[in-house]
Amino acid sequence: MFAFSCCWLFCATVFSRSYDDIIESNEIVIAVYSDFQPFSYVDNGEEKGIDVDLAYVIAKKLGVKLRLRWMTADETVDDDLRNNLWKGHFLNRTVADLMLRVPYDRDYSLLRDDIGELVHQHVHMFAPFHTESWQVIFNSKKIDSVETIAVFQYHDIGVEVDSIPQFYLTSAFQGRMRDRAKQYPSISEAISAMTESKVDAVMGLTSQISHYQGELSKVNYPLAKNAFPMIGRQQWDIGMAVKADYRQLGYAVADIVENIVNTGEMQTIFAKFNVIYKIPNLYKTAE
Amino acid sequence: MIKTTKTKALSLSMMVSLALTGMANANVTNKDILNDQMTTDDVVSYGLGLKGQRYSPLKKINNETVKEMRPVWAFSLGGEKQRGQESQPMIKDGVMYITGSYSRVFAIDARTGDELWQYDARLPDGIMPCCDVINRGVALYGDLVIFGTLDAKLVALHKDTGKVVWKKKVEDYKAGYSITAAPIIVKGKVITGVAGGEFGIVGKVRAYDAKNGDLVWERPTVEGHMGYIWKDGKKMENGISGGKAGQTWPGDLWKSGGAAPWNGGTYDADVDLLFFGTGNPAPWNSHLRPGDNFFSSSRLALDPDTGKIVWHFQTTPHDGWDFDGVNELVSFDYKQDGKTIKAAATADRNGFMYILNRENGDFIRGFPFVDKISWASGLDKNGRPIYIDSNRPGNPADSKDGKKGTIVTATPSFLGGKNWMPIAYSKDTELFYVPSNEWSMDIWNEPTAYKKGAAYLGAGFTIKANHDDYIGVLRAMDPKTGKEVWRYENYSPLWAGVLATAGNLVFTGNPEGYLLGLNAKTGDVEYKFNTGSGVVGSPVTWEMDGEQYISVLSGWGGAVPLWGGDVAKRIKHLNQGGSVWTFKLPK
Repeated sequence: MFAFSCCWLFCATVFSRSYDDIIESNEIVIAVYSDFQPFSYVDNGEEKGIDVDLAYVIAKKLGVKLRLRWMTADETVDDDLRNNLWKGHFLNRTVADLMLRVPYDRDYSLLRDDIGELVHQHVHMFAPFHTESWQVIFNSKKIDSVETIAVFQYHDIGVEVDSIPQFYLTSAFQGRMRDRAKQYPSISEAISAMTESKVDAVMGLTSQISHYQGELSKVNYPLAKNAFPMIGRQQWDIGMAVKADYRQLGYAVADIVENIVNTGEMQTIFAKFNVIYKIPNLYKTAE
Repeated sequence: MIKTTKTKALSLSMMVSLALTGMANANVTNKDILNDQMTTDDVVSYGLGLKGQRYSPLKKINNETVKEMRPVWAFSLGGEKQRGQESQPMIKDGVMYITGSYSRVFAIDARTGDELWQYDARLPDGIMPCCDVINRGVALYGDLVIFGTLDAKLVALHKDTGKVVWKKKVEDYKAGYSITAAPIIVKGKVITGVAGGEFGIVGKVRAYDAKNGDLVWERPTVEGHMGYIWKDGKKMENGISGGKAGQTWPGDLWKSGGAAPWNGGTYDADVDLLFFGTGNPAPWNSHLRPGDNFFSSSRLALDPDTGKIVWHFQTTPHDGWDFDGVNELVSFDYKQDGKTIKAAATADRNGFMYILNRENGDFIRGFPFVDKISWASGLDKNGRPIYIDSNRPGNPADSKDGKKGTIVTATPSFLGGKNWMPIAYSKDTELFYVPSNEWSMDIWNEPTAYKKGAAYLGAGFTIKANHDDYIGVLRAMDPKTGKEVWRYENYSPLWAGVLATAGNLVFTGNPEGYLLGLNAKTGDVEYKFNTGSGVVGSPVTWEMDGEQYISVLSGWGGAVPLWGGDVAKRIKHLNQGGSVWTFKLPK
C-alpha cells in the first residue's frame, strides 16, 4: 500500500483506469511497440506509424490527450499484456489504459492453462482493426516468378529471426528449404539484404512487406502470389486490449474503431504507409 | 624495569598494528586474489577463492560455538528496491562491498554496518532483463570495485568514494543482453560473460584490462563465430570458435545460437585455465536444430591470456529442455590409488553432477544429484547422456492442425536440479554441498501463440513440485563415489549459495528467510536465524579484530517468484525485504 501511494505521486498511471477516470483526467495512455515499422516507430525524433496514427484518432474521438507508452517487446504477446496492461513489468510497475496490436482470436482469448484457468482472464481483447497474413517479396532479376514455396529450395530467402517464416522455412517439407533460409534481426535488414543481392527474396508480415515495397521499384521487387501450405494460421485479425475490469472503455473504443473502418479513415491511415489493408471479417458481415 | 618492559610491549604492539594498518590500506593485488582461499581477513573474490570452493579455514564458529552466534548489525538496501538480493559480499580492510538489485553497489563499514557510499546505475527505459533485477556481486582490483549492470555495462568505481573511474558497454541491452553475474579478476583482467534473452543473441566471454576497461580479448561461445584479441589497441582475429561454422548446427542457426555464459566463471592457477558454463541453445524448439549445437549447455576451459578454447565438455548436447550448462565448475584435488587427481566438479541444471579432469576436460565420472531424472537413463562412458527420446518435448511441426501438442512431463524442470546458486567443497570432509531442487515441468507446443502481433509457435510450460512436503534439498555429495552422504529437505525451493568452513559447518539460506548452519558431517541443523525475508544470496565468512564474522544478504526474489503454477502457491506468502545481516560470537 505504501509503495502504491508513494509511486502515485510520481507517475500519472500506476494502474489501468476506468473510462470515467480517463475522461476526467483528460488523458489516455496507449501502449504501442517500439521500433516496429510501419506500425509504431520514431523517425528523426518524430513518432510515426499506423498504430500511432490510430492512437491519435482514438484519443481525439474520446476528447482526451494522448500519451504513448512505448513497449519493448518481450518473448510473446502474453508477456507484453502482463508487462504493459494488467501487472506492469517488475522493473517499473506501471501500465497503459489501452494496448494496440493484440490478436483478435477467440481461441487465443479463451486459452486455458494446464490447471484450467483462463490464461488471459485479466484482459479483454476487442476491436479488430485489420487482418494480417504472410507475404513473400522477391527480386525479379533473380527469380522469374514464385509459383510455389518450392523455389526456395534453390534461392536464398531472408526471414526475421525467431518468427513463423523462419520456423516454416527451416522445418516444413522435411527441412528442404532449411539451408536457404537466412536469418536477420529484423525485416528491414532482410529487405536491405535483398536490395544488396545477398538474398533473392524475403518472407514476412504482409503489412511490413508491402510497406517496405513502397520504398522500392515494384517491377524489380514484386509481391509473390504463392500459398503457404502447412503453415498453420494463414491469416489472423489484429485488435487491441484493455484490462478486464474496464469494459466500458473497451466499448467506447470499439465504437470508434468500427466507425473509422466504415468511413474509410482506417484504410487512409494504412495507405499513407503503403500498407495493403485487409478488412477483418467482423465488419464484412456487418456490411 | 617492569614499566620499561610494558612500554616496549606496547610499542611493539603499536608497531604491529601500524604495520597491519599499512597493509590494510593496500590495494587488492593479483596475489591477494589468488591467495583468497587461504587468507581469512578478507574476501576478495567471488567464491572465496577463484576455484570457487566457498571454503574457509576459519573455525572459531564451529559445531560447539555456533548456537551462541548472534547478529551484530543489519543494513537495509532501502526504498522500493528491496527484492532479489543474490549478492555475495566482499570484504577488504574492514569495508564490505555488496551489490543490490537494480544495479546498485554499497560500501559498508564491516564493523558497524554504517554506509560509506552507494552507487546507483541509471538504467535506461524499456530494458527487459529476462530473469529479475538481481546482481551477484562485485570484483575488487587495485582501488577499484567493478560490477556488471542490467543494461550490460561494466562499471569500475573507486573503492573509497564510489565515483565512476571507468565504464564500458559490454553489449547492447536493446538486443536483449544484460549482466547479472559477478565478474572475476585473473592476471589483472576483468573476465565477464553476458546474460541474454532466449533468442537472437550469441554468448561471449570477454576480458578487459582491469585498470582502464580496455578490451583484451573476446571469445564467442557458439561454434562458427570469430574470436578477437587486442594488441596495442589493434583488434586482431584470433580464431573461429570450434574451427568453422555449420558442423553441429543446420543452416545458419549458429548465427543466433544463444549459449550465453550468464553465471560467471571460475579459474584455477594450477592448470592456468578459466572455466565458464554456457546457456541453452536457441531457438527453443530442438527439432529445428538437429546436431549437438556447440558450445551450448557446456563447460568451456579458456586460456586466460588469449581467450582460446582449450577444452569443452557438453553436459546436454542438443538440449530440448532449457537445461542451461552455466553451473560453476569447481576445481579440487583428490587422491586415488596414491595419485593426486586434478579434478573439477559441476552440478548441472539437467540433474547430473560431473567430475572432470580439469587439465583436459576428460570425463571421470557422473551421477545424478537429484532423486529423479526423466529425460536420460544415465551417462555413457564419455559422460554423454543416454536420451529417453519419448521425454523430448514434441515437434511443433507435428501439431499444425492448431491443436495443443502432447504434454511431456520432464524432470528436472527448466529451473534445474540446481540453478545459479553455487555449491561448496570442504577439503576437511571431502564432500560437495549442493543446493538442489526436486521439481518437474509439463511442456507442450502452443500453436495459439503470438509475438509482437504476429502468429507464432510457442511452448507452454509449468513447474510442479515432486513432493508435497519439500522441493529444496541441500545435499552432501561424495565426488569419489557419487553417493549422497546426507540431505536437508526444505519446503520451498532452495535458491541461495553455500559456504563450508573448517568449523565443521555448512551455511546456506532458504526462501523462508533463515540463515542455516548445518553440521558438515551429518546435516543436522545447528543454527538458524530468520532474516525477515527470503535468503537467495551467498554467505561469506572472514576474520576481523580476532573474531570470526559471517554475512549474508536477505531479500526474496530471483527467477522462482516470476513463474506461476504449482510452485507459486508455496512461495506467494513470502515477504519482500532487502538487507545484509552480519553475525559473530559474543565476546
